[in-house]
Amino acid sequence: MNPIVSCTLLITLGLGTTITFASSHWFLAWMGLEINTLAILPLMAQHHHPRATEATLKYFLTQATAASTLLFATTTNAWLNGQWDIQHMTHPLPITLFTIALALKIGLAPLHIWLPEVLQGLDLVTGLIMSTWQKLAPFALLLQIYPANSTLLIMLGLASTLIGGWGGLNQTQLRKILAYSSIAHLGWMILVLQFSPALTLLTLFLYIIMTFSTFLVFHLNNATNINTLATTWTKTPALTALTPLLLLSLGGLPPLSGFMPKWLILQELTKQDLALTATLAALTALLSLYFYLRLSYALALTMFPNNPSGTSPWRLQSPQIMYPLALSITAALTLLPLTPTVTALMMP
Amino acid sequence: MTYIMSLFLFGLVLGLVAVASNPSPYFAALGLVVVAGLGCGILVGHGGHFLSLILFLIYLGGMLVVFAYSAALAAEPYPESWGSRPVMVYILAYVVGVVMVSGQFWGGWYETSWVPVDELGELSVLRGDSGGVALMYAGGGGMLVISAWVLLLTLFVVLELTRGLSRGALRAV
Repeated sequence: MNPIVSCTLLITLGLGTTITFASSHWFLAWMGLEINTLAILPLMAQHHHPRATEATLKYFLTQATAASTLLFATTTNAWLNGQWDIQHMTHPLPITLFTIALALKIGLAPLHIWLPEVLQGLDLVTGLIMSTWQKLAPFALLLQIYPANSTLLIMLGLASTLIGGWGGLNQTQLRKILAYSSIAHLGWMILVLQFSPALTLLTLFLYIIMTFSTFLVFHLNNATNINTLATTWTKTPALTALTPLLLLSLGGLPPLSGFMPKWLILQELTKQDLALTATLAALTALLSLYFYLRLSYALALTMFPNNPSGTSPWRLQSPQIMYPLALSITAALTLLPLTPTVTALMMP
Repeated sequence: MTYIMSLFLFGLVLGLVAVASNPSPYFAALGLVVVAGLGCGILVGHGGHFLSLILFLIYLGGMLVVFAYSAALAAEPYPESWGSRPVMVYILAYVVGVVMVSGQFWGGWYETSWVPVDELGELSVLRGDSGGVALMYAGGGGMLVISAWVLLLTLFVVLELTRGLSRGALRAV
């Protein structure tokens, strides 16, 4: 793609998210989401491949459906309440419609089916944009819907954590596994949304840090399935030794920073007297942990049989810039001691 | 008026059923055109003459070309229509779904849909829809600039997606 066109598209992608962030009016928020969708379509289809085109088409259809549902909810809201403000909604019908439309936009569980399919068709960098940057704008809106439909949010959250764990179990394709991991993490965020929006935001930030590192590691190793992962230890030994920790951090194991959001969310749910919900969410996280563990096993916990020359490939200087990956993988592994500070800062 | 509006609204729902149930692009596009026309009629009934005109000219004028091209691209000798059995099943399912959902919400929030804008505004200088357009230009100038930019960007996006010579997305590898 022409660098000027690509630059224009990226700037417009940023413009869309910024408009949605800055708006207090539903119409502008919808406009920002549409700009976002529009700007990423050529970026998704830039590699000339039928799978990429198919993924672009699926993404376009899904996002167009979600955006039109959102527009329908907006007009219904304006019609019933006579105003367009995001934060002053009273009628339950548009609120439910908004929640469902945004759930379709970010891929929460009963409406998640497009996400693995779309992510599987993209290259890892576009997939990275898709699972981090594209989630920000809908989340900014979800956080502002105030008298939220409680039952709907909890059902969406639990279904997402369950499906996110369950769907990833038998996958061998890394991008699909990452998509299911995304669904599961979004489920945790939605679960705690109505009780503590700050906690949702914290979970989103940490998820973005962790998934950013994971995508970049896979991109560095040029790995899109488990078999390729099994030979990465010959290419980048130090990074391969760190990657299982990164995956376990995504799974939420204690000494790593991925434990922080799960810990705080379970604590918040327990404080709200929702012991059953908390237990179910924790149990479904085990399913996710299983496939993270499987990836770690293939990656570094075992040494696959290989011919002698295969174990010592020629190591070339990588053209990829290492600094962002170094920073994010450090943050993804070691932020847990900051938990008291973060709780004090975000939830005063 | 009520009779015509009922006709339009029923036609709108049936046209949407036609769009959703038809496997052949010909009739789906036809259904969409009918729906757009009836939607314009409903807008007129609600007092939005100007909006209705805009929608009719822009939407039908612009989209008809697109529909013509997509129908020509996906041409088939024996398109399935409402007469064939699988389409019939879909139609019945959608109509039953519409009836069930409307039965669920009957008497709830649909009643305000009969109140047109400016119903009591015979003495008012400003019409509701043209006043709204003026307000949009006055208060939302920046938004309109962004809209214009997005329209330009849409052109770029379409060009980028459809460019030929093995670079585009629409052709097979």
